[in-house]
Amino acid sequence: MNVAKLLEKRRVQWNELEVLCDAMETSGRTHKSGVANHRGARGIARFSTLYRAACADLALADAYQLPPGTVTYLHRLVARGHNQLYRADRFEPKRWSEVIFQEAPQQIFSDPCVRVATIVFFGLFAVSMFLGRNEDLFPGFAEQMVGSEQLTQLEEMYEKPLAGSLDHYVTMSGFYIMHNTGIGLQCFAYGILLIPCLFNLAYNAVALGTMFGFMARPGTVGGDNFYQFVTAHGPFELTAIALAAAAGLRIGLGLFYTGGLTRMDSIRVNALKAVPIMAASAVLFSLAAFTEGFLSPSPAPYLLKALWAVLSSGMISFYFVVLGFPRSTAEQGTTMMGDQPDAT
Amino acid sequence: MASPAALDTTIAVVTPENIAFDYQLAGPFRRLPAYLIDFGVRWGVIAIVILGLILAGVLASLAGMTPFVIATGFIFYFIVSWFYGTLLETYFNGRTIGKWACGIRAIGVEGRPINGKRAMLRNLLRIADLAPLAALSSFAPNVPPAFLIPTGMVGLLTMISTRRMQRLGDLAAGTMVIVDERGWKLPIAKVDDPRVPALASFLPGDYRVTRSMSRTLAMYAERRHYLTPARRREIARHLASPLIDRFEFRADIDPDLLMYALYYRTYLADSSEELPDLGPLAGYSPLRRDQHKPQGLVAGSAQNPSIPGSSTPSASPSPGSRTVGPDFQSVTGNHGTAPPMQPLDSRREDKQ
Repeated sequence: MNVAKLLEKRRVQWNELEVLCDAMETSGRTHKSGVANHRGARGIARFSTLYRAACADLALADAYQLPPGTVTYLHRLVARGHNQLYRADRFEPKRWSEVIFQEAPQQIFSDPCVRVATIVFFGLFAVSMFLGRNEDLFPGFAEQMVGSEQLTQLEEMYEKPLAGSLDHYVTMSGFYIMHNTGIGLQCFAYGILLIPCLFNLAYNAVALGTMFGFMARPGTVGGDNFYQFVTAHGPFELTAIALAAAAGLRIGLGLFYTGGLTRMDSIRVNALKAVPIMAASAVLFSLAAFTEGFLSPSPAPYLLKALWAVLSSGMISFYFVVLGFPRSTAEQGTTMMGDQPDAT
Repeated sequence: MASPAALDTTIAVVTPENIAFDYQLAGPFRRLPAYLIDFGVRWGVIAIVILGLILAGVLASLAGMTPFVIATGFIFYFIVSWFYGTLLETYFNGRTIGKWACGIRAIGVEGRPINGKRAMLRNLLRIADLAPLAALSSFAPNVPPAFLIPTGMVGLLTMISTRRMQRLGDLAAGTMVIVDERGWKLPIAKVDDPRVPALASFLPGDYRVTRSMSRTLAMYAERRHYLTPARRREIARHLASPLIDRFEFRADIDPDLLMYALYYRTYLADSSEELPDLGPLAGYSPLRRDQHKPQGLVAGSAQNPSIPGSSTPSASPSPGSRTVGPDFQSVTGNHGTAPPMQPLDSRREDKQ
């Protein structure tokens, strides 16, 4: 048997495998190839047979003295089949609930990055809120920090009462969902570089805190409307931003503090640790978005919104502290966690 | 392939079937166009949807639904601009539209296709890879400070300095981007020159082609039709002249033809096969000891039109001046003006 005849013989199967790959690349199923025995389970069985055969051919390529061009072809064919056989996993709901209700709170409770991010964010937020509110003691602080144009814009935005101007506030909800979640995601992404993340986080904390403080001044136009709008979703959204930044910092820390691993492995390990935190942050963001979409712009009484804020703060604390308390082996001492949403 | 650490941009992956195959990595210059295409597609989708929403808003304004339309627009913009890559890579097996257009794909470093978690990590971290932002306003004072152009230096530097050409997002997610080529041909050169089997039948039966030799032969046969005949002879001479000595062939055998005959013997000829039907070439011998024997063929049939390979045109040397058949030798030595013997065009076999 010479090589050309051998190739001629094998090529029939290789072509069939290519046809199957084509079909699976377009729709993920084998029946698109139009061949009778490629339907359903038989198609999959046929595909795996052909794939194994191609693997065997590649393994024996050297012994058969196949020409290099053919070997390259086989490499690509096997890679293509491999990519179809081991396709990307879809999101699995069961796995993700485990991540969110078990891994994430444990991770959040024990992770120093979360503490750093929350202290930076809520600390600066509270300080600048205090400074922004006290015009007598710190005159011009708000104007210096945010800019007087922005402050007048802010006043104009909240001039209308919530009752009767649903149009205005629904649009604003949409904008703020986009804007604030964007801040969170940016903090997360820049976390790998550490400094931009901390800067971004601190900047947003100061800007938001100053605006909150400015709106809390007794004489400000629209201050009541502002707090009517903001109270309900505040706890969720602000915590989510801090958590996103914490997840980012976790990855960035892995770049510098490798703990004995190589730098690349350390990044990967830390990124995997950051995923549950990010998932928790995403859940908080979507809860905030729902609140912001349905409750915040509605003319419901302030008591209801305040109740919701208290309830959500309680839920977050429960999540962090009760679900997050170290279960099996107490690795970390109990630290003050879970009371950060109170800053809003 | 030869040495374990080839200076190629390939990465070997061992599958659960215990097969190692090579992936070719995609560098920055393949990935940038893909990113730009994705950027265009993303903004195209956003523009189309916003136009659609404006249209819907005009209709909805009658029903007082405009704010909801605008809010939907914001949220849609948010989702598309942040999760475009994540969603596409999860559901299309590591490819976005730009990657598909450029023929690249993101896979895990161990060769498995990426899952949703990895797709999310590598796509969200793109922001960090695009850092630092260059503010146009620092170059041109008239431009509003909102225009920030990402320079992508962080990503470029990490890509250059990592073995798998990964950017930061790839490092964190444990992924790499590979070239995902399609439209392959099966490269086995076809031999349709009748002189090749004839010459191959004279190769000694106990000559075994080694592995590296067979690889060289295959590479030569693949590439020889990109070369001019003179260049082929020049290249083939290095291997062919020791072999001519060893086989005791005549010195004026065309080296290219000898290489081709070896290729034929290795890849195409059946070992058990009878001697090929030599047709009009029967009776020729390339062996040195047969050089002075009378040839069986009348010299005039050198221009026998039944041999498709002998393309010697009218400028062919006069039959009388030649003592041997024209076929196994290069003619240039005999007559300066005569064109060299052209072996038949050996196209790559088209197996589509």
